[in-house]
Amino acid sequence: MTVKVIGISGSPHRHGNTETLLDNFLSGASHSGAEVDKIILRSMDYTPCRGCNACHKTGECIVQDDAEVIIERVMSCDCLAVASPIYSMGITAELKGLIDRAQYIWAQKFILKTLIYSDPLIRRHKGVFISTAGLPWEHVFDAAFPAITAFFNTIGFEYYDNIIANDMDTHKGIRGHPTALAEAFEKGENVVRVIGSLEKS
Amino acid sequence: MPIKVLAFASSPRRGGNSETLLDWLLASMSHESDVAIEKIVLIDADINPCRGCNACEKLNYCVQRDGMDRIHDKIIEADIIVFASPIFCMGIPAQGKSLIDRAQVFRSRKYVLKLPVVPPERKGKRMGIYLGTSGQTWNNVFEGAIMSVKCLFHVIDVRDRDIQYLLIRGVDEKGAIQSHPTAKTDAEQLGTDVVALLRSRLQSGSA
Repeated sequence: MTVKVIGISGSPHRHGNTETLLDNFLSGASHSGAEVDKIILRSMDYTPCRGCNACHKTGECIVQDDAEVIIERVMSCDCLAVASPIYSMGITAELKGLIDRAQYIWAQKFILKTLIYSDPLIRRHKGVFISTAGLPWEHVFDAAFPAITAFFNTIGFEYYDNIIANDMDTHKGIRGHPTALAEAFEKGENVVRVIGSLEKS
Repeated sequence: MPIKVLAFASSPRRGGNSETLLDWLLASMSHESDVAIEKIVLIDADINPCRGCNACEKLNYCVQRDGMDRIHDKIIEADIIVFASPIFCMGIPAQGKSLIDRAQVFRSRKYVLKLPVVPPERKGKRMGIYLGTSGQTWNNVFEGAIMSVKCLFHVIDVRDRDIQYLLIRGVDEKGAIQSHPTAKTDAEQLGTDVVALLRSRLQSGSA
């Protein structure tokens, strides 16, 4: 079976550092024979979570827009790469908006307990976080990780790896970074092989 | 001149736990005759996310025209800035993150263009307050939110040591904070203390 890989780009601008890094990851995945797809959040139509908690009772979101379409789509893939630049020490409002909307899945899993992920299912669904930051600080991604962890846990994905590159301002963009683009390509190739080998075992 | 308090309720849920905490704080401040309070509810404030275009690094203003135009000036004028948020998925809700990201124009002004954010006589005097509520009781539940909130305060010229925090864990459903043993009194005390501190700073003429 063909491994399906989806990339979500949470950057408000097209073909910037983060999306380029994501593209390299997807190219690597494609090189290993995966079917790849990319979702550009800024071209989708969804509103932030209203915090109404209606889903805690029904397991469904009362808002009908693209968020549910995206979430259902990514839950059906084998590898999900979530990409966002770091803005003000966190992920973009666009990506946070999508992650917050997965609350109805969280409710199904933790409150209603109608959604149960088996360990093999979680191992077969690999999540990768892709990010770039302008600042050189070591801890510049630290506030993003917990939100990404929460999202992967909610949708039943193992948080498999990070592809992160800081100090974009010094490198004058991702193309000036010595290793990041090659690393993204390799990691894309590898994760597809790993998922493929799980299938056979 | 009154002490100007600008407060942001960033939860999409009206009258929920973080907004209730904010209202307690603001009520204690409103008892003071020299305090002028404005509360902005972000879901009604028409703030688009940052486009990441970096135009503000050259222009010194944002190319987007929306509710942020009005808020931009209010942020400069305020003496005390309060940001209240629940935790959604281990971070600030998207609505609050939009406000923080749109403060990029202040970051550009301060760090790229090296221009003042507030007039020199008010520099080092203003204070920030972060009020956070979370359903989870984990120790680290506010960590991500605080890192982004600090970014907001730093770029609008509120120093790290001038940020006060009140974090309430384990309140999830609407109204849960009402039965929290200390949240109300802590919020009221914080409001009174910060106003007193700011008043003394303004009177003494130095930070």
